[in-house]
Amino acid sequence: MKLTKSFNRSLWVFHLNTGSCNGCEIEIVATITPRYDPERFGMRLVGSPKHADVLLVTGPVTKKMAAKVRRVYEQVPDPKLVMCIGTCGQSGGVFYDSYNLDGPIDQVLPVDVYVPGCPPRPEAIIFGVVKALEKLERLEAAQ
Amino acid sequence: MRLQTRAGISQQYWEVPEMDLIAPLLTGYGIWAPFAWMVAFIAVLIIVYLIWKTGESSYRKGTELERPYLSGNVEPDKGAVHIRASNMYWGFLQALKGYYDFIVPVHTGVLTDYMIWFVAVTALLLVIVGVLV
Repeated sequence: MKLTKSFNRSLWVFHLNTGSCNGCEIEIVATITPRYDPERFGMRLVGSPKHADVLLVTGPVTKKMAAKVRRVYEQVPDPKLVMCIGTCGQSGGVFYDSYNLDGPIDQVLPVDVYVPGCPPRPEAIIFGVVKALEKLERLEAAQ
Repeated sequence: MRLQTRAGISQQYWEVPEMDLIAPLLTGYGIWAPFAWMVAFIAVLIIVYLIWKTGESSYRKGTELERPYLSGNVEPDKGAVHIRASNMYWGFLQALKGYYDFIVPVHTGVLTDYMIWFVAVTALLLVIVGVLV
């Protein structure tokens, strides 16, 4: 993954729900409120994966969503990061033994950052973004 | 060279200079400077190239990057999602519904049907003309 100089200055994030209960979505929306205001760092949610640097994935990846998740991942231009928000994406959560899962997410996509919690608080999501930036810095240093 | 037109209006004409590919051409209505245009064109090309070079080189052609984002769904055929041409004259068809209800079933696409219609209508016209005349 070749990084441009401007990549980690303003991460644009595309959120994809792969079968989440909407708990994580509520916390993501809470994260972008003025109380936390990640936009001061240049981070914002975008409406298309084609504009995004980070793919924010929630949910345990149901069978119906697996192909769509792969397609959306392909539509995010390189270089890109994948962040997994919530327990469901990491282990399946309460749906871990469901017949209807192709996940968790790391079975479908390469994940860079995990943010655990059911749902994770906004502080945890912002901490995950900081971890993503640290990973980007390490990648830049390695180039 | 100054010429007098029929309307008495004096107009100024210039002699056409000898053909020169590079020198500016003054016609009286404007100026054509090929060298300046060539320099401007090359400058624009250089600027376009520099902008193009700053682009992301990892963009892969022929992949999902080129297809529209439709919530992760496969892009349907264009014909299946675009507004068809017949939608443009829907109101016209609706206004003449009674006419089309009759005329559309008549258009069977079978040549013999059309020949029968042709012969029948011609015979009817001949009868009418014969009676009237």
